[in-house]
Amino acid sequence: MLTKILNSMKSILPAFHRHNVHLKSFYTFTNYWNLWTSSIFILALTALFPLCIVTFIHYQLIQKSVDSELTLRTERLTSNAKNSIAFFMEERLDALRFTVNEMEYKQLSNDKMLAEILKNLKLGFGGLTDLSVIGMDGNQIASAGPYNLEGKNYKTQPWFLESLKKTNFISEVFTGYRDIPHIIIAVRSVAPNGSFFILRATLDTERLIQKISSYKTGDHADIFLVNYKGVLQTASTRHGKIFTKTDLTFPDNSGKSEVITATDLKTRMIISCHSSIFTNFTATPFILVVQKEKAGMIQTWLELRQNINWTVGISIVLIIFIITLASTSMVNKLYMLDETKAQAMLQMEQNQQLASIGQLAAGVAHEINNPLAVINQTAGYIKDLYSFKNEPLNSTEIIEEIDSILDAVDRCGTITQQLLGFVRQFDVKIKKINLHKMVTEVLNFHKKEAEYKGVNVAVSIPDNIPDMETDSGKFQQILVNLINNAFQAVEEGGCLDITGYQNNTKTIELVIKDTGCGIPEESLKKIYEPFFSTKKDQNGTGLGLSITYGLVKKLGGSISVQSTEGVGTCFTITMPVKIQEEESI
Amino acid sequence: MKHIDILIIDDEKKFAVMLAKRIELRGCSCEICYDGKTALDWIEKHANSVTLILLDLQLPDIYGTRVLSMIKIINPAIPIIILTGHGTEKDRQQCDKLGAYMFIHKPLSIDKLMTILEQIKGTHEC
Repeated sequence: MLTKILNSMKSILPAFHRHNVHLKSFYTFTNYWNLWTSSIFILALTALFPLCIVTFIHYQLIQKSVDSELTLRTERLTSNAKNSIAFFMEERLDALRFTVNEMEYKQLSNDKMLAEILKNLKLGFGGLTDLSVIGMDGNQIASAGPYNLEGKNYKTQPWFLESLKKTNFISEVFTGYRDIPHIIIAVRSVAPNGSFFILRATLDTERLIQKISSYKTGDHADIFLVNYKGVLQTASTRHGKIFTKTDLTFPDNSGKSEVITATDLKTRMIISCHSSIFTNFTATPFILVVQKEKAGMIQTWLELRQNINWTVGISIVLIIFIITLASTSMVNKLYMLDETKAQAMLQMEQNQQLASIGQLAAGVAHEINNPLAVINQTAGYIKDLYSFKNEPLNSTEIIEEIDSILDAVDRCGTITQQLLGFVRQFDVKIKKINLHKMVTEVLNFHKKEAEYKGVNVAVSIPDNIPDMETDSGKFQQILVNLINNAFQAVEEGGCLDITGYQNNTKTIELVIKDTGCGIPEESLKKIYEPFFSTKKDQNGTGLGLSITYGLVKKLGGSISVQSTEGVGTCFTITMPVKIQEEESI
Repeated sequence: MKHIDILIIDDEKKFAVMLAKRIELRGCSCEICYDGKTALDWIEKHANSVTLILLDLQLPDIYGTRVLSMIKIINPAIPIIILTGHGTEKDRQQCDKLGAYMFIHKPLSIDKLMTILEQIKGTHEC
């Protein structure tokens, strides 16, 4: 079970942490971690960005529609409640106006008559507590009702002064002499003697409060009256008891409902809607305020949003998981292929090394075969002398022939020494080499070829050029490859110039220039690609320059080429005088 | 004009001289040319008085295969043996195409050469 889990874990974890160091230079991609993370990042971004955007837009849309629905509902409630309260006031004001118009002053100033009228009004409309007639001087002329207010003078009362100015008047809520919150409705009329008198009724606030409360829906709603100064006219659940000063302000009293969304002290969103109350005949000092807690109203939406959040969250986690899995598998496959390629390249490099040694061996065979043929014929001749001539042998002639055999043996010896010295280079890692010596060594194997083809080989490397400290085997292979190529390209009577010089204290430049067939321009870009060859018909493998390129890079150098078809090719390699340790791997 | 059995064209002087001496010891006549141009000049003059030509490929002036084709123009009837220290498969194919009699790698056995010479002489006599 545990191994199963571990195995499945392996498919999630990238395999490229086991990067093979000795294959490093052959990998196409150097940083797999980067590749992996950027692949996950890009895929995740592509997948999650639209999801997040859509979710965000969806939220905005729902929020907007919920908000507008809330606003609409609050507005409607406010409007309904306002109309109802306005009607309540208007009805009672109408009743008073009717009474003043229908009754004579005489009847109204009679206490008994007034009590009769109050009784009828109470029966008809309700909500009226008492009724009184007050003269212009503020003295009460007649009154009816439960409170004994006989002989009171209202001259200084604000409501009285106000009601004298208007035909119809509705007061704010106040306690007055009786110490109970009430509203005064007053209608001004003219007495037979020409002076004004006022018919005043007291409205019971209980009825009004009941009416307002009937519009209250749920705990999160608050509905109350305030005056223009922001003082509560009925109790509010949010703002407190009656007559509490609130911080509400009202810029106009147009009677229109206005909705304001605000955040209160407890940082809960509330929707506030207010509307001034007007009757047909007069304005009232009341403003109806409806306040609703948003959170309470949009509970369903909030629950839905939480569900959406969960779904989106789980989706994101799932998507990231799948993307990670897919990226890992993709990058792993890429890594496997790259590793296979790198291994093949390494194998090819070794093969090419063998091939270039093979090429050298052919040259060596040629060099050795000639002296061998001389030895063969000379030895044969000495033998012939003994078998064909019967006369005594001339010892001087024999010694001469034996000397020529020894000469030929010496020639062979020199060649084998050269070859041994050359092959020995492949075993050694980093050591000091003399550029001139190494170029000459490589050229030695082409000496005959150069002679036969009539190739004019010129080497120009100053004696004071510093010894290079590099991987001699690899550097030698670079030289063998480039010089072989040059010899293959050059025609009879052509030129091969090898120039070396110190660029600066850190680098040495070697230019190998031939007057060969040149490389077509369209091929120039591809010459370092493996298996690209312009010599397919001449058994070219297409690996030489690709491997040379790899070797130059390995030794911390660089290679460039200029070529004109039919004119010649010039390879320039720039090598560090001293190789850096990490590059020698 | 004196008839020559074998014309040796090879730039390896010691080899050519030794080979010539050994051929002469065996009672055959021999001539040496050290480069392509001399050889061609000689053949032009003695086109019908040579039995066999030994031709090296790596000559200092003209490559062996070209010398071969030029000799074939002068006199296609002369058998030419290509004798090379290091001939590639490509060289061999080209020489076969150009009508070389044989393609032999160095070192050369004198007895083999003499046998071939006898054979050629025999066919000519027939």
